[in-house]
Amino acid sequence: MVRRPLLARAGGLAIGLAFALPLAILGVRAFADTWRAPALVPQDWGLRGFEAAFGGGATVEAFGNSIVVALGATALALALGWPAARVLGERRLRRPGVVFVALAMPLLVPPYATGAGLTEWFIRLRIIDSLGGLVLAHLTAVLPYVVLVLLAGFGTKVTELEDMGRTLGLSPARRLAWVTLPSVAPTLAAATVLGFLVSWSQYGSSLAVGGGLPMAPLVLFPFIGPDPQTAAALSLLYVIPPILALLVTARAASSPL
Amino acid sequence: MRARSQLRTTLPALAVLSATLLLAACGGDEDGSAETERPDSFAEIAGAAQGQTVRWWMDGGDDRINAYVDDVVIPAAREAGVRLERVPVGDTADAVQRVIAQRRAGRESGGAVDLIWLNGENFAAGKEAGLWLEGWVRDLPNARFVDFDDPTIVNDFQVPVDGQEAPWSRAAFALAHDSEELAEPPRTYAALLEYLRRNPGRFTYPAPPDFTGSAFVRQVVAAMGEDRAFAYLRELKPLMYRDGETFPESADELNDLFANGQVDFAMSYEANFVAAEVDNGTFPQSTRPFVLGEGALVNVSYVTIPSDAANQAGAQVVANLLMSPELQAQKADPEILGIPTVLDVERVPPDLRGRFDELDESPYVLSDFGQVEQELPASSVEPLEQRWEREILRGD
Amino acid sequence: MSGLHASRRWRDRALVAPAVSVLALLFGGAVAGMLKTSLVPLGADGLSGATLDTWRELLGDPAFVDALVFSLRVTVLATAASAALAVPVAVALRRRGLAIRSLAALPLPVPHLLVAVAAVLWLGAGGLADRLLGGLPVNLVRDDAGVGIVLVYVFRETPFLVLLMLAAMGRGLQERTEAAAVLGASPGQRALWVLWPTIRGPLVVGSIIVGAFVLGAFEVPLAVGPSYPPTLATFAFDATQGSVLAGEGLAAATLLLTSTIAVALAVAAVRFARDAEGA
Repeated sequence: MVRRPLLARAGGLAIGLAFALPLAILGVRAFADTWRAPALVPQDWGLRGFEAAFGGGATVEAFGNSIVVALGATALALALGWPAARVLGERRLRRPGVVFVALAMPLLVPPYATGAGLTEWFIRLRIIDSLGGLVLAHLTAVLPYVVLVLLAGFGTKVTELEDMGRTLGLSPARRLAWVTLPSVAPTLAAATVLGFLVSWSQYGSSLAVGGGLPMAPLVLFPFIGPDPQTAAALSLLYVIPPILALLVTARAASSPL
Repeated sequence: MRARSQLRTTLPALAVLSATLLLAACGGDEDGSAETERPDSFAEIAGAAQGQTVRWWMDGGDDRINAYVDDVVIPAAREAGVRLERVPVGDTADAVQRVIAQRRAGRESGGAVDLIWLNGENFAAGKEAGLWLEGWVRDLPNARFVDFDDPTIVNDFQVPVDGQEAPWSRAAFALAHDSEELAEPPRTYAALLEYLRRNPGRFTYPAPPDFTGSAFVRQVVAAMGEDRAFAYLRELKPLMYRDGETFPESADELNDLFANGQVDFAMSYEANFVAAEVDNGTFPQSTRPFVLGEGALVNVSYVTIPSDAANQAGAQVVANLLMSPELQAQKADPEILGIPTVLDVERVPPDLRGRFDELDESPYVLSDFGQVEQELPASSVEPLEQRWEREILRGD
Repeated sequence: MSGLHASRRWRDRALVAPAVSVLALLFGGAVAGMLKTSLVPLGADGLSGATLDTWRELLGDPAFVDALVFSLRVTVLATAASAALAVPVAVALRRRGLAIRSLAALPLPVPHLLVAVAAVLWLGAGGLADRLLGGLPVNLVRDDAGVGIVLVYVFRETPFLVLLMLAAMGRGLQERTEAAAVLGASPGQRALWVLWPTIRGPLVVGSIIVGAFVLGAFEVPLAVGPSYPPTLATFAFDATQGSVLAGEGLAAATLLLTSTIAVALAVAAVRFARDAEGA
């Protein structure tokens, strides 16, 4: 009986490593100034990739912009998505199909398809070439994820707990803080992380409505084919904000408030 | 690296110097009243350009070109009172798509793309749709150093440029081999075929419509005519890498196959690509460029200004700078980029001409590409690519 | 009584309305623009210049049919394999700590194209596996069957599905499983009655998202897919190589058709899941 948890822990670690280790090659590639076959380890180590990555100076600005836009889009998506997810999760609509399709549409249409259409439309709406426009463009991708993840957390169990809170005379604010939020914490955390991640990764829509404003994926992508070392160097920095988001929200979820 | 930081300090000074020299030269000699109007109108443009922010959309994956723009062009533009921003894209098509979307939205000014470095096919299509600003190129002071009778300059993929894009770079189609592995590469099409009979699988080219692969097919077509070229490519196919069933998707992928010893040749439409790939550590230092056949397909790269660009005056100032003898000489320097100039060096004032003569020889950059093979008409590129897909890729 | 019901129904609709209308406004306009692009060439006068030429060209192209078949095969394989792998991984990770979960989630923030680069570094000709083994036993990069594409997607999408399922499992699952065990349910019964109902929703929703993405994304097939056939997305991408203008209509039509297929597959998947639930 003692060996089982140990075995499970080792198994978990093995699974984690199975997903993490293949990517470690990017960490090596980032510092490999020369790495040609048949060498198993790079012939020359160096920082050329990082020098090229920060050559123009727009990289830092791009990361800043992306963080601001991702936080904005995620917050907005949570605000708009929460009531919708609640209604859908508690199955309060008689015909939810239409709403589902409308909400899921941005996930079903290839992101590559809507780029040019998004540019044209955002010009007409006069919300082009600004951080605000970028937040709204990212919102179209983030909101569906947030709703679909959040709705899984709502249901009869949550409403029963809330009813209990009401009978105990808790004010609406306290009910939210003491009952609702703790019971949906895991899905709320997942929705937040996913929302941040989806916004952070937006390449096509950032290009389409940003008008050349530097954003993190726009800085990274041009290097991916022609210059794998620089791309790998940038990717090491690129994954940090999403991982931080994951850690912060996971911590908040396990000890809500 | 030292060359770059040195550049940073000397360039602005030199740019100012060359600009003043030019203005003086333009105003002084020459004849005719039309000539004297030019500096005036450009002076107006230069005045309007003050304080403008020009967004130059261009491919962002080449760190040496990025460094050239960041360390040479941007400071020179700043001296001219223009703030230049490089907008890196993975594919020039992204910038063109943006311009098209602006047109579709009915917008006629305030566009976010001020300057694009674009390919001949996109230029031709955009010209037909009236996307580009017209008739500004010849009025740039530095246009006087360009030979507009040169057919490779006045036509882009055989489409008349008509003053809608300014030349800034020259491309030539070259292959590469590792001189340590293979001292003497096959330099004719017959020799390449013979080489592959002895060493099957050691050659491939990117699949059109990739830019480089499409250029390789055109290089063969330019050399032997379309039907013979396709017969040749069919003959080549079974002798190629992975029996010609699979092609690399891009020049980058071919570069990696070459660097890792999977094939014996790399290729590019960028005349300086060996220098760039040795510099970034992809190719071994023993890599050397060579030309396949009698001569190389050559092409001039241009920058264009969309007719709805928000900062047209600033964009013209930058396009003018890109054609300045000083910046062109920097670009031709193999230490910096090693891209042949678009200027007619004979027209450059003698005191600046020396900069082109003094350029160091580099083993990584060819000085002679053989006889010039003209680009095919832009309209014939797509049909060629489709024929390639039908007859070579699918083998119908 | 019915008045109360009606007002509740209106309140519920009002709660859903902001999200739906924001998406309809921002995204609907973009899709409409794509539809227009596929019908009206640039420079033509408004809708009177509309033509079905692009759609005819698309449907008459034999490469399009090949692309359609190939895309559907890759999509089904990649989605099914990711889902099948994600369930045991999620079960194995549900009691593990944050560190291990973060390790497993590492592929999520890495762009698909970069995952494909990593795959080529490992598995490509002259790559690390080739160097280690002195030769590759099988070609997984640019293989004819598209195994390389499926592999990259499974690696990248499994963590996504796992994340969704772990979020749904939460703490409630543990309690319910224990309750079921106290009531004498066997491990198999516990999996069927407690675990499966908990993860079925996120698994179906997640798989639909994955499937739609695989069907419509061009980066991974471009990096590790065969030269022929293309996928629907690489077919669209190729149309815009060379000249964007010449190909934008064809690309838009291809991708609109791809979207329609994705919606149809999604609806079918939801129906199928609901039928399975009913049974």
